[in-house]
Amino acid sequence: MEPLIEMRKVTKTYRGVPAIREVDFDLRHGEIHALVGENGAGKTTLTKIMAGVIEATEGSMLYRGKDVRYASPAEALNDGIAMVFQETSLVPSLTVAQNIYLGDEAFLNRLRGTYIAAQQFLQSLNFTVDPTALVATLGAAKRQMVEIARAVHHRAEVIIFDEPTASLTPEEKRHFFALLRRLKARGVSIVFISHALEEALAHADRITILRDGELVATGEAASFDRDKVIRAMVGRTLSNELYRGRRSAAELRPGGAQVLSVQDISMGNVVRNNSFSIFEGQITGVFGLIGSGRTETFKIVAGIHKRDFIGGGEIEFNGRPVRYLVPRQAVKDGIVYVTEDRKVEGFFETMSIAENLYSGLLAADLERLPYISLREMRAMAGEWGKRINIRAINENARVIELSGGNQQKVVIGKGLVQKPRLIIFDEPTRGVDVGAIAEIHHLINKLADEGLAVVVISSYLPEIMNLSDRILVCRQGRIVEEFSPSEATEEKIMYAAVH
Amino acid sequence: MILDRALDIFRGQAITIPPLDGAFRPNTALDDAETAATAPAPDHLCVKDGRVLYSSATQVGALASPASGQAFPSLSFDRPVAALATSKGGRLAVALADGAIVICEDAGGRREIPAPKGFACPTALAFGDEETLYVCHGSARHGPADWALDFMEKGASGAVWRTALGSGRHDPIARGLSYPHGILVTPAGLIVSESWRHRLLSVDPASGATTPILSKLPGYPGRLAPAPDGGAWLALFAPRNRLIEFVLLEDNYRHDMMRSVERQHWIAPALSSGRSFLEPLQCGSIKTMGIHKPWAPSRSYGLVARLDARLRPVASFHSRANSTRHGATSVVETGAGVFVAAKGGDAILRLTGGA
Repeated sequence: MEPLIEMRKVTKTYRGVPAIREVDFDLRHGEIHALVGENGAGKTTLTKIMAGVIEATEGSMLYRGKDVRYASPAEALNDGIAMVFQETSLVPSLTVAQNIYLGDEAFLNRLRGTYIAAQQFLQSLNFTVDPTALVATLGAAKRQMVEIARAVHHRAEVIIFDEPTASLTPEEKRHFFALLRRLKARGVSIVFISHALEEALAHADRITILRDGELVATGEAASFDRDKVIRAMVGRTLSNELYRGRRSAAELRPGGAQVLSVQDISMGNVVRNNSFSIFEGQITGVFGLIGSGRTETFKIVAGIHKRDFIGGGEIEFNGRPVRYLVPRQAVKDGIVYVTEDRKVEGFFETMSIAENLYSGLLAADLERLPYISLREMRAMAGEWGKRINIRAINENARVIELSGGNQQKVVIGKGLVQKPRLIIFDEPTRGVDVGAIAEIHHLINKLADEGLAVVVISSYLPEIMNLSDRILVCRQGRIVEEFSPSEATEEKIMYAAVH
Repeated sequence: MILDRALDIFRGQAITIPPLDGAFRPNTALDDAETAATAPAPDHLCVKDGRVLYSSATQVGALASPASGQAFPSLSFDRPVAALATSKGGRLAVALADGAIVICEDAGGRREIPAPKGFACPTALAFGDEETLYVCHGSARHGPADWALDFMEKGASGAVWRTALGSGRHDPIARGLSYPHGILVTPAGLIVSESWRHRLLSVDPASGATTPILSKLPGYPGRLAPAPDGGAWLALFAPRNRLIEFVLLEDNYRHDMMRSVERQHWIAPALSSGRSFLEPLQCGSIKTMGIHKPWAPSRSYGLVARLDARLRPVASFHSRANSTRHGATSVVETGAGVFVAAKGGDAILRLTGGA
């Protein structure tokens, strides 16, 4: 069968540095094609060329057998190629219907007519989204649905998804993949970039693997297994490193002095009479389903949220009762919270790596002189860039230009420069490729070995099992169970999280 | 925080209890442990020549030990035994409930040293050397059997004394303690458990200066015993719970309860519970159709903690709320295992492995 899209020897360079080199890629009619690779492997670059966001430096692209070269996404969209980005490109202040028909409005646009048409259109896709709702009020999954609806509305025959499931809950992921299958049944060809290898293996028809900007392997999904994909992605097997499974009691860190004691804290209905302790020199894993209150609990600890004024419980940090009014007080005391939503809360995207790292230092160290030392900033960026292995074209690169894993390292580095005593990682490897996951896990382990109190909040059970020295399970706003990884199983943890 | 303390006047003080997590993570180790012996309310354990001795009412008995050749003759006293200690040289000191200390020689001789004036509540003993004994007196107002009364009165009249066995002279080391209930002699000084303040103190035997070294324990700490590898064992004889802490804040209710309710039915820590239907109906009763409600605060519990060389908890052994091996008042470790006196469960338990 003739491919729908065929890319030949495509190369893209930035300031002389190649992001992808002579990559061949083809997409067939009505197939789901997974594109996997480490952060910085060139996946997004390749798909952006397909969608007309950027132009290739060398090579050619055939669409329906015709040589094409798109100068803008609009041109690609006119031809039927749409791309759904990691950060949705919707206008938050407009309604769902207005977003779907944006740029496609009639001269005299009847809003009511738009809503009716949008309602019918969304129903035809089996999307349960209110067309009159403001996009700003929607969750990540529903925004994704609107983005897809917009692509389908433009009669896209090729839809490219860049990490579509990174911010979705397990339930939303199921809906998303059901949708992909429906689109496929309608003859739409789909390319999706994913870091979750299980997703690629389970839902794709074919898989293409990139490494360091080059094509490493491509073939039917059935011919791959987890190990094979990882080996192709990183050039070595990481399965054992990442998912060691159950560890014996002797392998666990015993834990030192109590650093944090949380007693009976409450915040509305989200956190309810929650009590637990955190110890130095140990990684405490916190598992819970979405909405179990785990993030909110630790945001209270870090001074981001406020506990109830009456009956809100007590928090002691290093034996001293604390009630932080702003996060800066917590940072100054040595509590660092590494956010789960790095793009919104984690970094200043238009600032450089150095500026971001330095901003962490400025937030923590109030004794400094009231000016910014560029020399100190550069030295610090160099030191921390090496220490946590941030890979960038140069140190002045803006953080938004980095891959997900390197962005996450910047966020972690920004916290580490504050010399914390307690560091809370919330979903540290969400949207991060396996190679970077191994590096981040290594870094987290190193911090605990150095004596820091470390908390890792994660919805990914293998990560919790692999990293934690003790596991706390959160349900309905409180810690309901504590496990030792030496005796815990995924079933036991999940049972505690649900029942 | 200062602001919180000021605001507590208007909004009410938060009553919080440290959670049983980390080293205190609940398990059923005491429930699963084998019974080494049964005895009515076994209280204090100590080790003499590799053999575990225990006190029970007016008796001091020994656990059967195939390793120790000679049988230990059971000792009887005319008053209840309150505490035991053995020296490195093999001397046995027995504190009686009125504060008198009896030194028992191997040959069978006994010598009684009267209590220091005003103190008749010995709770723990420890030898400094062969001629020096450190004695904890829980209270200056009540005897050891009235510990719950001292608790409800928020007593803070306890003291640590040094007794010279040769002369029988008593010297106070530290006073004003809230029921000192366990003592351990270390090269750095004395470690004393202060039950009503839920903490361990380091006490300088020369100056009497006290320094908290482990605070906010989830239960009321009792006897301490050395562990062979340099750490220590700590028995926590009852759990803290919010209901009891609340009653302690409500002075009128507390005094009324003490006046009008029998002591075994007070809302107070206990060494055993669940034996009488007249027990306080905590949170609308603690049992329904004979089943212990999981959310009901228990007055009694079984808890023993293992402390490392820096006296930080590293492990613990539990008998949970719906069980009976409660009121762990003493713990010792020998080559044969870890022995726990469950005073509320009328049993001495032996833990092997995992200690």
